[in-house]
Amino acid sequence: MNINRKIVHALIVISILFLSLIIYLTYFELFTKDKVIASSYNRRQFETEEKTLRGSIQDRNGTVLASSALEKEQQVRKYPYGPLYSHVIGYNSKIYGKSLLEAKYNDFLLGLNQISMVFGLRDKLSGNMKTGNNLQLTLDHKLQDKASKLLAGRKGAIVAIQPKTGEILAMVSEPDFDPNDQKLVKNWGKMVESKDAPFLSRAAQGLYNPGSTFKILISAAAVEKGMADRLFEDKGITVIDGKKFSNFNGEAHGKINLKTALAFSSNTVFSQVGVELGEGTLRDMAGRVGIGKDIGFDIPVSESIFPYSSMSKTDMASVGIGQGKMMVTPLHMAMIAAGVANEGQMMKPILVSKITTNDGRTIRNQKPSELYNMMSKETAAAVKEMMQEVVEKGTGRNAAIKGVKVAGKTGTAENEFTGREKNREHAWFVAFAPADKPQIAVAVVLEYSGSTGGSIAAPIARDLIAAWVKQ
Amino acid sequence: MRSISKSFKPIYGILLVNLIGFVLLYFYKKPFEKITIYIGLTTMVLTSAIYLFILIKKLGDEYLFLIVSMLASIGIIMIYRLDRELGIKQVIWFTGGTVLFLISYFVFSRWNLWSRLIYLYAGTSLVLFLLTLIFGSDIKGANNWIVVAGFNFQPSEIIKVLYVMFIASYFTTPEKLNIPEITLLERKISVHNRGVFIACVYMFIGFLILQREWGSALLFFIVFYLFLYIYGTGLKTLLFNGAMAFMGGSLGYLFLYHIKVRIDIWLDPWKDVSNKGYQIAQSLFAIGAGGFFGTGLGLGRPDFIPEVHTDFIFSAICEEMGIFGGIAVILLYFLLIYRGFKIALSIREPFGKSVALGLTLMFGFQTFIILGGVTKLTPLTGITLPFISYGGSSLVSSFISLGILQAVSKKAL
Amino acid sequence: MFEILSSLLKYIFITIIYIFLFSIIRLIYLDIRSVNKKASDLAEKAPYLKLINRRDELYFKVEESYILSRDKSLGRAAKANISIEDPFLSGEHARFIHRDGSILLKDLGSKNGTLINGVRLTDEEVPLNNGDKIEMGQLAFLFVDNEAGEGT
Repeated sequence: MNINRKIVHALIVISILFLSLIIYLTYFELFTKDKVIASSYNRRQFETEEKTLRGSIQDRNGTVLASSALEKEQQVRKYPYGPLYSHVIGYNSKIYGKSLLEAKYNDFLLGLNQISMVFGLRDKLSGNMKTGNNLQLTLDHKLQDKASKLLAGRKGAIVAIQPKTGEILAMVSEPDFDPNDQKLVKNWGKMVESKDAPFLSRAAQGLYNPGSTFKILISAAAVEKGMADRLFEDKGITVIDGKKFSNFNGEAHGKINLKTALAFSSNTVFSQVGVELGEGTLRDMAGRVGIGKDIGFDIPVSESIFPYSSMSKTDMASVGIGQGKMMVTPLHMAMIAAGVANEGQMMKPILVSKITTNDGRTIRNQKPSELYNMMSKETAAAVKEMMQEVVEKGTGRNAAIKGVKVAGKTGTAENEFTGREKNREHAWFVAFAPADKPQIAVAVVLEYSGSTGGSIAAPIARDLIAAWVKQ
Repeated sequence: MRSISKSFKPIYGILLVNLIGFVLLYFYKKPFEKITIYIGLTTMVLTSAIYLFILIKKLGDEYLFLIVSMLASIGIIMIYRLDRELGIKQVIWFTGGTVLFLISYFVFSRWNLWSRLIYLYAGTSLVLFLLTLIFGSDIKGANNWIVVAGFNFQPSEIIKVLYVMFIASYFTTPEKLNIPEITLLERKISVHNRGVFIACVYMFIGFLILQREWGSALLFFIVFYLFLYIYGTGLKTLLFNGAMAFMGGSLGYLFLYHIKVRIDIWLDPWKDVSNKGYQIAQSLFAIGAGGFFGTGLGLGRPDFIPEVHTDFIFSAICEEMGIFGGIAVILLYFLLIYRGFKIALSIREPFGKSVALGLTLMFGFQTFIILGGVTKLTPLTGITLPFISYGGSSLVSSFISLGILQAVSKKAL
Repeated sequence: MFEILSSLLKYIFITIIYIFLFSIIRLIYLDIRSVNKKASDLAEKAPYLKLINRRDELYFKVEESYILSRDKSLGRAAKANISIEDPFLSGEHARFIHRDGSILLKDLGSKNGTLINGVRLTDEEVPLNNGDKIEMGQLAFLFVDNEAGEGT
């Protein structure tokens, strides 16, 4: 029957339409919905947040750094130390959203993970407001406060790490901002437009030329190639492929070994070492410490870069003295110093050590883990010895502490102003102490300070180390 | 699973769904109202009674009513959850609907004259359309409501049934629409009955467009077009009407603000999400919020969606019963439509066949148009979801259609 | 409290809807199968028994129709040609016998008996006519013989 055949066609059409509805719905659920429901016009998002008392964030000793409380039926996020943790914890605002730890650990802070959902039933039973989970950070409030005071509003960053575990003890970036909602609302417009980029977490996201601090790694490579005991001729200046490389203030040190060269940060020697090590070794060393790789961290972190496609001799010389095109973050430099301190093992940096429920059950415990094997134990020991020399006799004398063996390295980094304006270099100092049993590694960078690392960054590192070691 | 489905009678499913639904609803809002229990019992008793009546009296296909009862139950539970008062009203309409279902069954089975009333269908529709135009009031952007004694009444819902009867009558006895030759300016003009038929259909659609019922207009056209295809009216007619639809659509997009807006929103609802795209965005948020199993009844926020109890009820179902719940609803409609097609296929009597076909196509495409609309698969045109959406006119019209389909099924199976 | 109840019951709720769907699909499938079978039987023009009971009211498996193309016994026992697990049937309840182009029904001494058009069978063989109603146990069949039926 002709009509029946065509009726079947109509049935087929409807079947296809209905099937496409089912497929579309499933597709929407699996692939597109996450993006859609994240829209700020979705009032449901705020619903769950309003129903849950957001978890608190504490330092390693239980000092509360961020917490939520109800005020007139409204939940308010409070940061008792104002700007101090703005570049670690970030902000949590109904208007501007979330950043840093508040963003990364949002699901935990709201208790949205599976495990606590089951236990959250108890809250439902009792009719109480649901409570989120609490974060415990590896930061030490006293040290963080000290670091901030030492930076004293100068643009820059300080990172302090426990070498054995990779725990971040302090992480300060300046300029900062007050993440408390009222202040945030008040200053937002100004801050967004500010040239100083107050929202940039310099410690983890600021990319700087490492300057002479990079000589730590060049020394390690040189030690591996058996150059430790060789004597170098330092005339204060050397020319490689027509490009001049001169020491700070043109000083000549005469016949010196690698140790003395590092102590006085001899550009003449290290530019030659760089060329002698060659492209392969330099690349290898950068790779071994994680430059150009994702180091993975609890807050967004910039990747340190080593952007050479092929290297000329002058490039190798520049890398040898830590100038060149490569860039590192303060966090990464601190990790490198900590790696030397930890017998060549770079640990994975940890910021959040523990997540606990409101009633004290631990739902996540971050164990220390090795990130990169930078160098052998023996090499690390040799480099450590050389870095002690820097503080005892060389450019880092300002970092010396009575009764504590400090190992360090200064750095004065060129930047976009070099050659155009005087006194705009970044000042670096990286260090760890005590040298025989390291407890803390520090990286300090002062942006565009126009001074040397030894003169202004080293004292900051010294005071911070002293505060920690003598505690 | 096999043994469960073997011993499991479908009616138990409906009773269980109502039981669970209304027990939950009873605890949902404080103070606990006894009326919730009564409402639940009413639905359960009514459904069982009518189902048993169909079985015992052998009123033809037994699955149609079962499937529809399940859909209506889900609808009632959802509407009651959204708004207790509307839920109670919906149960009253459901009761009225089932009564009308039986009445329309008996009325349609009793007499055999239905295929000869083509002028009555067209005439009644015309009167209803004119009444809407004269007395109609604007509700929700469509001018398609008549307020009688405090009741909002939507004539176009009833016209849906009349329209199917009209089309079915035409394809049974086309010669009824023959009109005498007209002498105009001394020239004799003869119009083929198909021309008259097509003109009448365009009249229906034209009135709907005048009332800004784009969804119904589209629905009427699709049903009409499929009839043209199925009854083999020739390629020329198909092409001509296809071209008309294309032209109408393009003109609508270019010159009718409402249609342009709907299509623009469909293409990108996020461009003006705070205003024009608000509805569809809220609908998508709701569907997304549910996940596969939903938040659970009463635990989502479907109340954020505008018009959630009528056009957007499916989004609420997806939020609280999940995508699986939504797919179950789609499958239920598909089964209903499959049954309808089965009836249309197995009956030999031409009028019954086209009536069954027309009603089934109406159900099928109405469901697809609104489900596609609220999920943003197709542009959104406001139209109700048969048997689930809140609304007396819609429910009554759907149940009358179902009664007729049931009557046809008796002859078919 | 309500939240726990609701978040648990939602799984049951959705499962029931799907069981409902599948049970309907199953019944529709059984219908189609029996219709197809009937159609092929009709093509054969063999006489057959048509079940009058609603199948979903019976809790044991029973076909919509049984072809009587040759001699067949009916009973609860598995060895019966037509085996139906109706507890009210006897093991060997009755037998359909072809003789001289017509079909005879003989009760095999069943406990609850066999009725043709309401009349209880004795132990004699009774010829069946098209449209006869046969009752045994909880079952009721219509005897359909199209060849013979066309004449009447």
